[in-house]
Amino acid sequence: MKATQISGRLWVLRDAEGGLYNDIDTDMIFHNRYLHITALAQMGQYTLDNLKGWEDFARRAQAGDLIMAGRNFGSGSSRQQAVDCFQALGIAAIIAESFGAIYKRNAINSGLPLITLPRLSQYGEQFQTGDSLVVNFVTGEVLRNGVERFQAQPFSKVQLAIYEAGNLFEYGKVAEK
Amino acid sequence: MGKTFAEKVLAQKAGLQQITAGQIVTVKPDRLLTHDNTSAIAATFRKIGVARVADPSMNVIVLDHVTPAANETYAISHQATRAFVAEQEIAAFYDIGEGICHQVLPEKGHAWPGAVIVGSDSHTPTAGAFGAFAAGIGRTEAAAVMATGEIWLRVPESIRVQLHGTLPARVSAKDVSLYLIGLLRADGADYCSVEFAGEAINAMSVGERMTLTNMSAEMGAKNAVVEPDEKTLAWLAGRVTQPFAPVYADADATYASVIEMDTTTLAPQVACPHTVDNVAPITEVAGKRVDQVLIGTCTNGRLEDLRAAAEILRGKHIARSVRLLILPASREILQAALAEGIITDLIAAGATLLNPGCGPCLGAHQGCLAPGEAVLSTSNRNFKGRMGSKDAAIYLGSPATAAATALTGVITDPREV
Repeated sequence: MKATQISGRLWVLRDAEGGLYNDIDTDMIFHNRYLHITALAQMGQYTLDNLKGWEDFARRAQAGDLIMAGRNFGSGSSRQQAVDCFQALGIAAIIAESFGAIYKRNAINSGLPLITLPRLSQYGEQFQTGDSLVVNFVTGEVLRNGVERFQAQPFSKVQLAIYEAGNLFEYGKVAEK
Repeated sequence: MGKTFAEKVLAQKAGLQQITAGQIVTVKPDRLLTHDNTSAIAATFRKIGVARVADPSMNVIVLDHVTPAANETYAISHQATRAFVAEQEIAAFYDIGEGICHQVLPEKGHAWPGAVIVGSDSHTPTAGAFGAFAAGIGRTEAAAVMATGEIWLRVPESIRVQLHGTLPARVSAKDVSLYLIGLLRADGADYCSVEFAGEAINAMSVGERMTLTNMSAEMGAKNAVVEPDEKTLAWLAGRVTQPFAPVYADADATYASVIEMDTTTLAPQVACPHTVDNVAPITEVAGKRVDQVLIGTCTNGRLEDLRAAAEILRGKHIARSVRLLILPASREILQAALAEGIITDLIAAGATLLNPGCGPCLGAHQGCLAPGEAVLSTSNRNFKGRMGSKDAAIYLGSPATAAATALTGVITDPREV
């Protein structure tokens, strides 16, 4: 079983105007010119390289880091690589106000934690790149720099079970036993 | 209390008396649609350690994305898909040239009212035009469905879109879609089931309804549905062989929101770079120079779309500065368009005909854009870099707008040609 509480350093994805980046689509996350790549180890280097201002993200991110964005993160295509690339980099969780519907399923099924902070765009300016966050998937509590608390949506039952098993396949094996 | 379409169809499939939005259910889908990504899904399937797919009759596989193979990498991928089809004895396999998976699926009888369809492509909701619950899923999940025959689904909240009135001449379902996406934004229907109803929908052909459900993915919808009527049943006759029972939302169902729209005065709409919700009426973008026009794709590659384009281009010639690409959504549509003389008219007007498939829509081949170029396309996505260069501009519009634009070389209001 994996830990249901994690901590890590935060990257806040902001756009040119300084607001939380909304509608980061799957082509910005993992562009279609790399879709022939199927080996996970090769995917990390291209993460966000089509997102204006964040082209060098893959070189700056470290395993265990957390990412924050605005509304509708992962909209667009159903491509799995847009989830896999973050796992290749070792990103521990993605925090956003909302996610694309298929993206959310892909992430849940791959065991990549997505944290939904309702109305995040109203207080997103409080978060800074470099913040230290503690996130509890069961309670939904997000603790910023050891002092400020925010309430995210707790994981659903199936989301938690898949995450704890590792991914959808491991979950399937557990379910059969 | 009344139930929505999604609540009713998923309750039926899950074998439950009634369910409510937000609940998670496990169902056995009627069909699993996959395309060129079948080779990758098959590789994941093999890692699970199950020898046979749970139910070969569930699988529908269509090679459409990069067809014919543009290079050796794609050729190897197609080869792996064909080998998987043979090994797993999958009957519903449609090789290159048959068309785009979202068009081929219903044409070959794999979509019907009340069916639950999942597909490893984000435009899977297209099949909702036939009264099916159809949703996109990812690759890993498609492999899991192959192995287990089941999928978990969160019952979506529903949005009702009620379209009143009629559509003016040269204004189409695509313009309605773009207008709604501009209104609701790219995340306006995130995770939701969108139900389309009203007299404007009743008046639309089945093909136009498919444009609406196809485009619903661009407002974040999990699925979209049009209630089946006589037109639906007539379209499906001779294609679907099994018995089915249409599912209709209750009149007193609970919706997250209800949108009422009168289409009578709607103007042609254009989505500007680089998001689909960056929508403007054509009067605001008319005059913008374009280098290429694409008419076709799973959004607007049907007979009525090609007909609308030919009606504008017949006996005329496209501007010298423009390349016009025609991409029928399927072999069946291409044959019908040939029989009607539409293709002859379009080619005489200067168009280049592409084989049925996804073509340049996803930027892999057959008409990618150079830096600084602009395209007016009838497809569904204008994300930065989608059709080639990151420094190209993609405008989305209707087939009529595309044809008028090809004629002049600048974005042109189809009501003025």
